[in-house]
Amino acid sequence: MKKKLGILLVLTLILWGCSKEKTTEPDAPMVLFEVPSTFPNTSYKMESNPITEDGFLLGKKIFFDGKLSRDGTISCAECHNQAYAFTHHGHAQSHGIDGQVGPRNGPALQNLAWQKTFFWDGGVFDLDLFSIAPIENPVEMDEKIGNVLEKLRNDQSYPPIFKKAFGTEEVTTERFLKSLSQFMLTLVSANSKYDQYKTGKANFSNDEKVGLTLFNEKGCGSCHPEPLFTDESFKSNGLPTDFFRNFVDFGRFRITELSDDKYKFKVPSLRNIEYTFPYMHDGRFSSLEDVLDHYADGGMADLENLDPIFKKNTKRGIALTSKEKSQIIAFLKTLTDEEFLKNKRFAP
Amino acid sequence: MKKIALALALGISVFFAACETSDINPNDKNSVSLHFEHLVGTEAFMLNTKTFTNASGEDFTISTFNYFVSNIILKKSDGTELKFADKYFLVKESLAESKVITLTDVPAGDYTSVSFMVGVDSAKSVSDVAQRTGVLDPASYGTDNMYWSWNSGYIFFKMEGKSTKSTNAAKDYKFHIGGFGGMSAKTVNNLRTVTLSMADLAKVRKNIAPEVHLTVDARKVFKTSLKIAESNTIMSPTLGVAVANNYKDMFAVEHVHNDEM
Repeated sequence: MKKKLGILLVLTLILWGCSKEKTTEPDAPMVLFEVPSTFPNTSYKMESNPITEDGFLLGKKIFFDGKLSRDGTISCAECHNQAYAFTHHGHAQSHGIDGQVGPRNGPALQNLAWQKTFFWDGGVFDLDLFSIAPIENPVEMDEKIGNVLEKLRNDQSYPPIFKKAFGTEEVTTERFLKSLSQFMLTLVSANSKYDQYKTGKANFSNDEKVGLTLFNEKGCGSCHPEPLFTDESFKSNGLPTDFFRNFVDFGRFRITELSDDKYKFKVPSLRNIEYTFPYMHDGRFSSLEDVLDHYADGGMADLENLDPIFKKNTKRGIALTSKEKSQIIAFLKTLTDEEFLKNKRFAP
Repeated sequence: MKKIALALALGISVFFAACETSDINPNDKNSVSLHFEHLVGTEAFMLNTKTFTNASGEDFTISTFNYFVSNIILKKSDGTELKFADKYFLVKESLAESKVITLTDVPAGDYTSVSFMVGVDSAKSVSDVAQRTGVLDPASYGTDNMYWSWNSGYIFFKMEGKSTKSTNAAKDYKFHIGGFGGMSAKTVNNLRTVTLSMADLAKVRKNIAPEVHLTVDARKVFKTSLKIAESNTIMSPTLGVAVANNYKDMFAVEHVHNDEM
C-alpha cells in the first residue's frame, strides 16, 4: 500500500513538474488543429477561419449552451455526445425540443474539416452554414438564428468572449457560426488502434489483420476508403424504404431532385463506429452484426439506384461467412479512438 | 434667301445638337431610384384583408410577398452598361422602404433600359458567411424566413396567403421559390433575369435624379394556370420552375420621372 502511494506521489510530482515546465514556456500556443500525417488536405478553407484558443473556447461554450433552442433545453451536445463520437447515443432517430422525433439518426461529429457536405443528404455544403439548420429545424431546436444572437448579446458572459476571440464585443452571424466551426474543426479523430497500427505503434491481432484485408477485398473500402473511411459520395445500400413510420426518405434526392439520387445517402465515416450505434440514416440497426447481416444476407431491397457493387452476385449484397463478418467487426473496432472520445478539451 | 434660311436652320440645329450633348457632363453623377409598386392585376395591393381572383377564377389573399433583387444593370442608348455588382435588395410588400431601391453615383447619361435578377446569384449563394451581411444575413429574417438552412440557399421569391380553393386544412397556400443551380450536382436553377426598356429614358444629370416606377403584378404569378387547388405548397426548386417562369413576367416599367431638383 505504502509502495503504491509512493509511486503515486512520484507520478504526481513528475506530472506536476511537466505541467510547471509547460507554463514557464513563453507563449507556447496550444495546438488545436493539425492535419494528421496520414490524412489528405482539408476540404474546409482553414485560412478563412484561423482557429484561435479564444475562438475555440467561444465555440465550445456555444456548443454546450441550451440558449440555442427556443425553450433553452436543447444544446448541440444534446444530440452530439462526445462519449459516443458526438452522436445521440442509443437513439435511432434524434429527438429534439418538446420530445419531437426527427426522421434521421444524428451523425457523428468528427474530422469535419475533411467533409465536403453535411447531413445524410448533403444539403449543406459549408460547415459554417451547417449550424443554422438544427437551430431552425422545428423538431430540433426550433429557434431563429436572429433570436439566438440576441440572447447571446443579452447574456453578460458572451460579449467579452466575442471581444477576446474577434476583437470587439459585437455578436454577428459570421462570428457566431465561425466560432462554432472552430470548435467543431478541432474534433479530429486520428489516434485509433488502426492509426497506431499504420504508423507501427501498435499490433493487430490476427482477426483484426484479416478483418482489414477482408474489408478492402470485399469492397467495403471502395466507399469507405482509408484513412477517413468515407469517400464522401452518396450511395444506396438497399435499405428497404418503409422502415420509419411509413415515411419514405428519398435521401439525396430531396436536395438535388435528380432521379439518380433517389434513396441515396451520404457514405458515413466508420471511425469510432463501435460507439456510434445505432446505424444507418434512420438508426434501424442497433449492432454491427445487424449491419453486416444486412450487407451479406440478401435482405437488400432492389431499389432503382442500388449501388452496382451489391449486384455482382446472384444474391444481392456482399458474400460473407459468419467468420468473415466477425473478423471485419474485429477490425472495425480498431477504429475506436479512446483519446478522442475522452479528450477533456472537448468537454464543457 | 432659301439658302440663307437653310444655313440658319442648319446652324441652329447644329447649335442645339451641341447643346444636347454638352448638356451631359460625364463627370456629373446622381442617383437613380427604382420604385416597386405591387398590384394584383390593376387593383391596389392589400395584405391579408383583400380577396383577389387569379386567372383560374380562384379566390386568394396575400399575407406575404417578398423577393430578392440583385445584379441590377442600367443600359445607355449607346449600349454601354452600368453594373451594380455585389448589391442585394430584399423587397417586401410589408416594408414600405424596401420597395424603393436607390442606386447612387450613376454617371450622367440617358439610360434606356434596366435589368435585374430576381434572386441571389450562384456565386453569392455559395459564398463564405463573411459575405452574407445585410439582407443576406440568415439571422436577419425573424419569422419571415428567406433562407433554406436544410438545402443551403436563399428563397428568391416568397408568396403566401389564404384561398378557399386550397385543399389543406389551413386553407392556405405557400410558394417558396429558390434553387441557384447547385453546388456540386447540377440542380434546378430558378434565377431569372428581367430586362425592361424605359420608353421615357432615365435622364441622369447633375440636377436630375430619375425615379423609375415599376409595377409588379402579383396576379401574373398564376398566369400559366397555376392553380391553388392543385398546388398549395411549392417549396422545392423543381416545383418552383413554373412559378419562377411566371413571376419573371410580373414586372413592367410604368413611367420615369426626370424632374429637375
